[in-house]
Amino acid sequence: MRDLAKSRNIGISAHIDSGKTTLTERILFYTKRIHAIHEVRGKDGVGATMDSMELERERGITIASAATHCEWNEHPINIIDTPGHVDFTIEVERALRVLDGAILVLCSVGGVQSQSITVNRQMTRYRVPRIAFINKCDRTGANPDRVTQQLRDKLNLNAVALQVPIGLEADLAGIVDLVSMKAYFYEGEHGDQIRVGEIPDNLKDEVETKREALLDAASMFDDELMEAVLEGTPTEEQIIRAIRKGTLSLEMTPVMVGSAYKNKGVQALLDAVTNYLPAPAEVTNYALDLNQDESEFKVTNDPKDSLIALAFKLEDGRYGQLTYLRTYQGTIKKGDSIVNVRTGKKVKVGRLVRMHADDMEDIEESGAGDIVALFGIDCASGDTFTDGIHNCSMSSMHIPSPVISLAIKPIDNKNQVNMSKALNRFSKEDPTFRTHVDSETNETIISGMGELHLDVYVERMKREYSAVVEVGAPRVAYRETITQRAEFNYTHKKQTGGSGQFGRVAGYIEPLEEGDYEFVDKIVGGVIPREFISSCDKGFHKSMEKGALIGAPIVGVRCVINDGAAHAVDSSDVAFQLASVGAFREGYLKAKPVIMEPIMKVAVEGPTEFQGTIMGSLNQRRGIIIGTTEEDNYTVVEAEVPLSEMFGYSTDLRSLTQGKAEFTMEFAAYRPVPKSVSEELIAEAKKEKEKR
Amino acid sequence: MLKQELIAKNPIHHLSAGVEGKVSPRLGLVIARPGLGKTAMLVQIALDSLLNGQQVVHVSVGQSLEKTRIWYDDIFKDIVESCQLSNPYEIYDEVMRNRMIMTFKESDLTRPRLEERLNDLVYQNIIRPGCMVVDGYDFTKLDRQVLADLGEMAKAMDLQLWFSAVSTRDKQQAAGGQVPEPCREVADLFNTVVLLQPGANSECIDLNIIQDDTGGAHHDLVLQLDPITFMIKESC
Repeated sequence: MRDLAKSRNIGISAHIDSGKTTLTERILFYTKRIHAIHEVRGKDGVGATMDSMELERERGITIASAATHCEWNEHPINIIDTPGHVDFTIEVERALRVLDGAILVLCSVGGVQSQSITVNRQMTRYRVPRIAFINKCDRTGANPDRVTQQLRDKLNLNAVALQVPIGLEADLAGIVDLVSMKAYFYEGEHGDQIRVGEIPDNLKDEVETKREALLDAASMFDDELMEAVLEGTPTEEQIIRAIRKGTLSLEMTPVMVGSAYKNKGVQALLDAVTNYLPAPAEVTNYALDLNQDESEFKVTNDPKDSLIALAFKLEDGRYGQLTYLRTYQGTIKKGDSIVNVRTGKKVKVGRLVRMHADDMEDIEESGAGDIVALFGIDCASGDTFTDGIHNCSMSSMHIPSPVISLAIKPIDNKNQVNMSKALNRFSKEDPTFRTHVDSETNETIISGMGELHLDVYVERMKREYSAVVEVGAPRVAYRETITQRAEFNYTHKKQTGGSGQFGRVAGYIEPLEEGDYEFVDKIVGGVIPREFISSCDKGFHKSMEKGALIGAPIVGVRCVINDGAAHAVDSSDVAFQLASVGAFREGYLKAKPVIMEPIMKVAVEGPTEFQGTIMGSLNQRRGIIIGTTEEDNYTVVEAEVPLSEMFGYSTDLRSLTQGKAEFTMEFAAYRPVPKSVSEELIAEAKKEKEKR
Repeated sequence: MLKQELIAKNPIHHLSAGVEGKVSPRLGLVIARPGLGKTAMLVQIALDSLLNGQQVVHVSVGQSLEKTRIWYDDIFKDIVESCQLSNPYEIYDEVMRNRMIMTFKESDLTRPRLEERLNDLVYQNIIRPGCMVVDGYDFTKLDRQVLADLGEMAKAMDLQLWFSAVSTRDKQQAAGGQVPEPCREVADLFNTVVLLQPGANSECIDLNIIQDDTGGAHHDLVLQLDPITFMIKESC
């Protein structure tokens, strides 16, 4: 049985292009999980080991969070590689849910960028202790001190340097460790020969000041160290213990430096992971009790308790579906039966493996706090597994609804088959990715959380499933809703020849503040017989699928029936369904329907000199500027902008600000569109209908 | 209840309305010890202008954008609850569309900087404020010239400009009706000064208009803040 106190589940998170995949690659090399180093944009064409998806190799970005296992100084470490783009936030969040600690990778030149801020905010939300690693110290313009200061100012972290780089840019030779007060030089082709030497003379002053700052900061967390510092005799163990305390309480963030690409400082970072990041048992995790309205309770981390585990990632491998699982309490053994809480189905654990990017090793059992993969289990990402004792979930069941959609069409029959395979897989993997067939146009529609989100899936379809599809223009997912109460009284009658149809439905529809649809039966005296009430419900519900304005789905309507009539012979299920459809149509237009569009919360950041330009660009796009935050020479402008206006914004913004500003956006809410836009949309929808 | 009634019913108009009920450009100050409701008061002044169809810039020094936003949401909710508005969402949307929050670090707030920002907004037709509130400005480090500059700017731009200030413990002022420290030296620059104090006979907070030269405020009227919601009302 492995030692729980020694194991670490960590994530590596960063802004795009900070070199996080390269860093992971080096970690795997030094922990001897791989025996050769490939670059992300390598000349050998092999690509880094963690980027198991071809697409990631091509774009040089990491999309899916593959989990991998390695060992450093007898500490088992599970690494979860997280995607950096905001469109994949649900994956980032799910990854953060499973890990206990993280390395926040920053570029020594770029410093704290917008994505780092988002990721940092997410980490704070999930209370993930973190170490900062200032990477790329070999780049021209590297300035780790500035980045450390940014960590304090922009991310509000108590960032404390644990190291001083020996030389910067091309001269980067090694690092001085401020805890042991020794200099480390990384030599040999792969930096695996570490030479311990004296601190270079030219750095002595800097090292002295920074060591003092470190001791000051660390002694805040440990009285013993404070006393030792006052006496002038702090030991290495005392310092490490104090830093660990500070890091775990999230009140301190140790800062490491190095260059993964040049093989400098990675081993020291691994030491820091084992020294300062928490073991699974040191982190409090919460599960949601489904019997008590999703109220939170603590999981025990005890391998002897009943099982609670979260499936956080699915992958399609050569052997079928592979499910990555994190155990929070209890033990999972080969041959066990476990229950999927969402579906209530019992499944048998056939094969249990520990994953390393693309290889795997079979294991017999896995205890609390571990991350493993299972074979052949049918489930979706985010499902919780238990041994049937608990009815709880590790992640909330609330999934944001998609805001953008795309019509796709396979080029031939063979591609059609592959496409449906791919779509089936993706929608299981990612709950924010949906797919349906439009009943009128017969087109397959995929929808998701952003342009890039859908782009990546179209690409993956091509590469992983060799399904080539034609792609339509992206469309914003509009909705329709009503703004006032309206009465209806509709009779459906068809009594000429053959078996007749008769049904009368009366009542009203009114706006519903929370939820999409509600049906209220206020019929008294059985004017509509019991058995036809559900037919009315069905009819109304069906009417919600397509609104009369532009054919978008209708949301937020309560349908109330309070009167009606039936015929002894001619009334039927179908008759009442049709009567309800007619009644809805009658009431709908009287209820002042409006079109709603997704509004995004957009944050643009850039130098202050561009503030006016940025605000202007958002204003032009029908954005409502909420406010600005100014600090030194940097500004963040926050606004709410309709998604339909955000297409192509990144290009515009780049040219307006000489590439110095960047933006992030996330879904905020659905809001009614202004009248002019509404008229345009209605005219467009009408035209399209005529075309058909 | 409709919006018009809401505006008329809001007791704050006793304070902000100038001659003949028309809001005039002025420099105002809300001063109080910490925790008595300065921010709430400024937000209510801002909301009153917003409901009157004006646009508002809220300058927040040292507080985050999100926090300031929550103040508005909370106070708007209280107003809606107390008046049972018939169409709160529409009004809320309209109100928020006309409000902008700017947050600054202390050292960054100077007239040229603020003016540049405001000009940017006006020039691009993003917002043309009729009212501006500045919350969290540190008057202990105040430069008289900066404040005089800002006052002039307000006049030039035809807007009412309200500040909040934290009063230091000062026994003398209570009796004399003087403007408390640290604002005593600059009191002459303000048209209106409002002092918030714990009420003598009730749990409410008294709202004393201790200085006013606009001629619009009703001196005989007793205004108070509810100690729980910080909402202004005519008396407890």
